[in-house]
Amino acid sequence: MASIRDLRNRIKSVGNIRQITRAMEMVATTKLRRFQEKAVASRPYSQEITGLVSRLAALLGDDVSERPLFAEGAGQKVAILFVTSDRGLCGAYNSNLFRKAELWLAANPKVDVDWYVYGRKGYSYMTRRGRHVERFLVEPSLEQTDYRSAARTSKALVDGFLAGKYSRVLVMYTAFETMVRYVPTEFQFLPIQEVKAATDTQKTSGDVILEPDAAVIFDSLVPRYLETRIYNALLESLTSEYASRRVSMKNATDAAKTMGNGLKKVYNRKRQENITKELLDIVGGVEALK
Amino acid sequence: MATLTLRVITPDKIALDASVASVVIPGADGQIGILPRHAPMISALNAGLLRYTVDGRKSVLFVTGGFAEVRGETVRVVTEAGEKPEEIDEARAKEAEKRARARIAAGKTAEGDPVDLLRAEAALRRALLRLSARESR
Repeated sequence: MASIRDLRNRIKSVGNIRQITRAMEMVATTKLRRFQEKAVASRPYSQEITGLVSRLAALLGDDVSERPLFAEGAGQKVAILFVTSDRGLCGAYNSNLFRKAELWLAANPKVDVDWYVYGRKGYSYMTRRGRHVERFLVEPSLEQTDYRSAARTSKALVDGFLAGKYSRVLVMYTAFETMVRYVPTEFQFLPIQEVKAATDTQKTSGDVILEPDAAVIFDSLVPRYLETRIYNALLESLTSEYASRRVSMKNATDAAKTMGNGLKKVYNRKRQENITKELLDIVGGVEALK
Repeated sequence: MATLTLRVITPDKIALDASVASVVIPGADGQIGILPRHAPMISALNAGLLRYTVDGRKSVLFVTGGFAEVRGETVRVVTEAGEKPEEIDEARAKEAEKRARARIAAGKTAEGDPVDLLRAEAALRRALLRLSARESR
């Protein structure tokens, strides 16, 4: 049985942990809000770009599928952009994505993968398993990411694809569905597939003036479209990370509270017992003197 | 008077959403003026000044390339950055101008990288456009 002093120390340290996790929870809440606002602010831009892409694709018709970023690449390897967090203490956020990666690798055992990694956690995971990390994207760190750095990442992937290194480029990230639901997700970044579907559903009516011409606009538009996809994936991952961290810190705070209460009960009972024992001793001593 | 809705959309925010009488956009092949009841159009943009008129007052906005789309009575400009004259950091633009000029000088004398020279020229063009947007306040 723990002594009174041990109990007192434990109560104190549980209380300290509770304070820390409470503070971390509040930090996560603030950051979560910031990334959510960023994600909301970027939505009109990506919607506009996506709309333009599908309208132009409709104007171009079948030519779209023959453009370079729409056909399978010449390379043998596959590049995967892997978006994880820099820091831990965010629940199963990272390990869920690791599991996703393992499942993918198990389903595609013969594929040689070049990993492009965001986040220290993903980097150490991949290097520990001896996987080839082509690039570890730390500059700027994920939290400071803005549209321009997302655009640079997108360009690095597109360049690798066009240089004939890769047959396909995938993105694995955590999609943010609701405050309590974050889903590890993968999508094919290159060659582009989704636009083809828009071609048959959307028909532009009447003549549209195109300046300089549809093909030229389209070719400069497609890189922008890809950039928005990367940027969205990064922002959604960040939002998921902080939502997940907030929940796990809240759970930790609650657990610390329950534990502290339990310990306090034991401590009080023990103290009472000691006092009773002492009283009995005194009473017994007095009896003996009589 | 008939008006157009002008929306300038960037990845960070909607830089401008206004009802305007006319717009001049820096199209890839030259300036394009747009008045109400314009035909549908999609155009690529160069870095340059977007000029528009609100209630008879002329304003400009610096855009870094992108795209413009005219659909119905709405002009949508999709660009990476749309800066109002008062948002432009003059000191920074001047600094960028100086740097770009130095890079061009270095690129021309030695057997400099032609790609770098092109980039420096583009940077210089952006810096000068920013400064001229700043002045037209």
